Amino acid sequence: MDIDRRLFRNLDVPLIAVTLLLVVFGLVAVYSATFSLDPGDPYRYVRRQLAWAAAGGMVAAVSLLFDYQQWARAARLIYLATLIILAAVPLFAPSIQGARRWFVVGPVQLQPSEFAKLAIIVTLARLLAAREELARPTGLIGPLIHVGLPIGLILLQPDLGTSLIFIAILFGMLFAAGVPLRYLVALGAGGAALFAVAAYASLQGWFPLLKEYQLRRLLVFLDPYSDRTGAGWNVIQSMIAIGSGGFFGKGLFSGSQTQLRFLPARHTDFIFSVIGEELGFLGAFLLLGLYFLLMWRSLRLMAQAKDTFGALIIAGVVSMIFGHVLVNVGMTLGIMPVTGLPLPFVSVGGTSLVTNLLGVAMILNVHMRRHKILF
Amino acid sequence: MQRLSWMMIRRRIAIIFVAAVFFLVLLSVRLSYLQIVQADRLASLALEQRLRPVPLLAQRGVIYDRNMNTLAASMSFEAAYAIPVEVRDPEETARRLAPILNRPVEEIEARLRRQRAVEWLKLRLTPEEADAIRRLDLPGIGIQERPLRYYPNGSLAAQVIGFAGIDNQGLEGLERQFESYLKGQDGMVVQERDATGRTIPAGIERRIEPVHGYDLVLTIDKVIQYIAEREIERGVLEANADWGLFLGVNPKTGEILALAHYPTFDPNDYAAYPPETWRNRAITDYFEPGSTFKMVTGAAALETGVATLDSVFVDPVTLQIGGGRVSCWRPGGHGRQTFVQAMENSCNPIFALLADAMTGERFHKFLTAFGFGSRTGIQFPGESPGVIPEPNARVLRWANVGFGQGIGATALQMVMAASAIANGGELMKPYLVKEIRAPDGTVVESFSPQVVRRVISAKTAEEMRGVLRSVVENGSGRQADVPGYRVAGKTGTAQIASPQGGYLQGPKSNMASFLAFAPADDPVFAGIVMLYKVGQEPSYGGIWAAPVFARIAEEALAYLGVPRRELEEAADDRVRVPNVINMEFPDAEEVLLAHGLTVQAEGQRGFVVEQTPPPGTRVEKGTRVILTFYEEHHGHGAHVTVPDVLGRSMKDAAMVLAREGLRIRIEGTGYAVRQDPEPGTQLHEGDAVTVIFAPPKD
Repeated sequence: MDIDRRLFRNLDVPLIAVTLLLVVFGLVAVYSATFSLDPGDPYRYVRRQLAWAAAGGMVAAVSLLFDYQQWARAARLIYLATLIILAAVPLFAPSIQGARRWFVVGPVQLQPSEFAKLAIIVTLARLLAAREELARPTGLIGPLIHVGLPIGLILLQPDLGTSLIFIAILFGMLFAAGVPLRYLVALGAGGAALFAVAAYASLQGWFPLLKEYQLRRLLVFLDPYSDRTGAGWNVIQSMIAIGSGGFFGKGLFSGSQTQLRFLPARHTDFIFSVIGEELGFLGAFLLLGLYFLLMWRSLRLMAQAKDTFGALIIAGVVSMIFGHVLVNVGMTLGIMPVTGLPLPFVSVGGTSLVTNLLGVAMILNVHMRRHKILF
Repeated sequence: MQRLSWMMIRRRIAIIFVAAVFFLVLLSVRLSYLQIVQADRLASLALEQRLRPVPLLAQRGVIYDRNMNTLAASMSFEAAYAIPVEVRDPEETARRLAPILNRPVEEIEARLRRQRAVEWLKLRLTPEEADAIRRLDLPGIGIQERPLRYYPNGSLAAQVIGFAGIDNQGLEGLERQFESYLKGQDGMVVQERDATGRTIPAGIERRIEPVHGYDLVLTIDKVIQYIAEREIERGVLEANADWGLFLGVNPKTGEILALAHYPTFDPNDYAAYPPETWRNRAITDYFEPGSTFKMVTGAAALETGVATLDSVFVDPVTLQIGGGRVSCWRPGGHGRQTFVQAMENSCNPIFALLADAMTGERFHKFLTAFGFGSRTGIQFPGESPGVIPEPNARVLRWANVGFGQGIGATALQMVMAASAIANGGELMKPYLVKEIRAPDGTVVESFSPQVVRRVISAKTAEEMRGVLRSVVENGSGRQADVPGYRVAGKTGTAQIASPQGGYLQGPKSNMASFLAFAPADDPVFAGIVMLYKVGQEPSYGGIWAAPVFARIAEEALAYLGVPRRELEEAADDRVRVPNVINMEFPDAEEVLLAHGLTVQAEGQRGFVVEQTPPPGTRVEKGTRVILTFYEEHHGHGAHVTVPDVLGRSMKDAAMVLAREGLRIRIEGTGYAVRQDPEPGTQLHEGDAVTVIFAPPKD
């Protein structure tokens, strides 16, 4: 393995800086959301999150040592291993709150579907980079099966939100790879119709394709007040939290919705509501601005990639992170259904944090190797 | 190829960028909508769900009788409530509450899901149940102390007091009429709480103290009320009537001393009784009064000069008047009678003539003056004004009014009219509430006797008192008399109008009543007994209602401390023939023998309808008094066997005997301990069985 120290001079500092800012932002928000949960140890959640960030940072740094172009060779193996692990999850993972998503290893819970996102990004990028007949509809069949299989396995857990992210990754990468827009529109319409049929069939009780709580969340999205004490409660409390924060916020650690426990899942799914309440429009907008910078920077680096494979990897990572932001923030604002997706870099959750850091590392990896190195 | 592809990818990157910016702008727009446009509304929502007001319930005022005995009070019970919005897991919550509340899980869950601010789960918790719920410490479920209405005397004066519902809101009777006084004003504590319902130590707290309700002091006297209820029950059962009422007042003041109904209900558990038992019929319902109304006709006739005490009338037996007929109830009529005798005999044609002589114009003025056709204005909801004919109504209509038909009057109006005669001619305004007191005992409002108007002159009133005394002494009211208390009154046996028009026929078609006051020369107590649809023959007021009045008046007057007048002794060995009309044969015989007279009653049994010589005649001792019985005219019933009623309640015993066509004569209260005749004896239909009741020994 030849590692050139000069390679590291090509690291994109702004991207790293934005990522670090997001992580720090997250740590502060997590502290505010959790310091009162365990009166004996106010730093419990922050410490864990910090440990995950450190671990993720190291893993990410190490990953930079490996030339991304080498990953393409292992694509087949990576894909196969991903499918096997995903298949194993519903069989062996313990049931937590009705879903089997996590492997428990000692003190940590690992969510294989998180890492699977990265695996699918790399392997799909390889698949798409190798193809040339994407301009024809039949060219879509391969990529569709490629992403469809893991989606199917994840739906078994069940995890609707993560499946949604896979779809976002698929569309983002297909689009970046140059698939004509009309195919994507047709594909999206077809998928939406299929989903509508599935939802209707489940509602009518013909076919239990969707679980009852999933349906309820969907209905609640249409009208949160239809079930204000149940599934709608979360969204209503979130909107109250964000709205009551106003322009300047109620001040860090003094959001009444957050601190008085009206807000559910405030350190995980609804961390954005905590930020909205305590730091106001200023803080929330600042956070969205950081995501904008992240995306903007990533897309810039994507344009500089030296090959399609690298560019598509960046497209996949951007789709993944941005898909999470859109769905999560949209949910807290009451314009997206409740899906339980974390906010990248900010929500408590080790696997998610490590995955996102690794994703950023992949972008850096592609970028730092953009030039043929000449001596 | 590679170059082209790169161009394409760059273009796509630009599009992705624009799309991402679009979505970010979308989120920002939504964010600013919530945080800038909706900020105030959502901030107040946030505050609202933290500031949960807990009501501090005002204590409902106490209702006392005139001697400050408690008739209605509020007691605290612990009640379980749910705040559905705060219940986080209705299913689990319901599952845990079900065994404590002893209700099905599904029912509780359904109630926990109701879209209401507060859902009351159970109102009267035992301390154990309350503790168990408190220990569960479920979010959204709470225990609150709630005052609930309690009526310590059960059914006593139930129709007067009425009742308050579960929300402590007066629904019937005085509870409803004086709602605004009794209710008070709830206060509240506003406390800042977190999502799990814990109060926040440094949070906002505001306290608005409740204003407790005012107390009522009634004119009702608990003792007289109790006597009246006991006797009206007995009267209804003995007469086999559908229901009965007694209304007693102080005729000088208009204070209502007792107002009793049977059947009655227990306001502590009002829902378990038929709503018609809640009615205060004495005030809300009007009836055709029948002969008791002759008191009014008579007073008006004397006042207008149409008649004097000495006027002599000849009973036309059947009076042709205004195109109709008025017949005397006595076959063959009463012949020549004075004004007083016409009243004693309750002779309808004479009173039709008196009414006619006054003309509708003048008679109407008297009716209106006596208060008929308009509400007395008593402090009670739903008072009926009754109905009276127009002044220019047909001659026959007014002739009928003369003896109490074709007019609708409430029991209250009748008693107030009688009171006007009793008190010297002034119509008083009746009242039930004497005082309204603040919780600290200060009198906020007090009601005092109020003269509505003078109706007749003191002279007419005095004459009428004499006439009515004579009705009891020598006429149909004999059974109302109380030795030494000189009861004066008028009997009534009113036909009941049929819903199909005309009057009911056959059994259970009459209302027996008695309207009276005592003592005749200085009345302190006036009242009416009404027994609706009497199931015995004959259904005369003099037989069924008069004795009820006598029993109530005797105890009430003694309780009020009215001294009994010494009985007049005959100066020589001649005796005055006592009045035994409307008495049963054995009683009549006993009275006559006690006066040293002999009795001729050839084999007949039942009620005396006539006696010769008439009451009041001075005769030699040993004179034979000939009695005429009701059965003489109406035949005798079939043979029946006396059933065994021992151990039964009054109501049950009355029902069992009524089934066999036998009458009941009640002595005492409680459960049957003796009966006479014994079970198995052969009697005739319509004969009486005396049953002696005693409270259960336990």
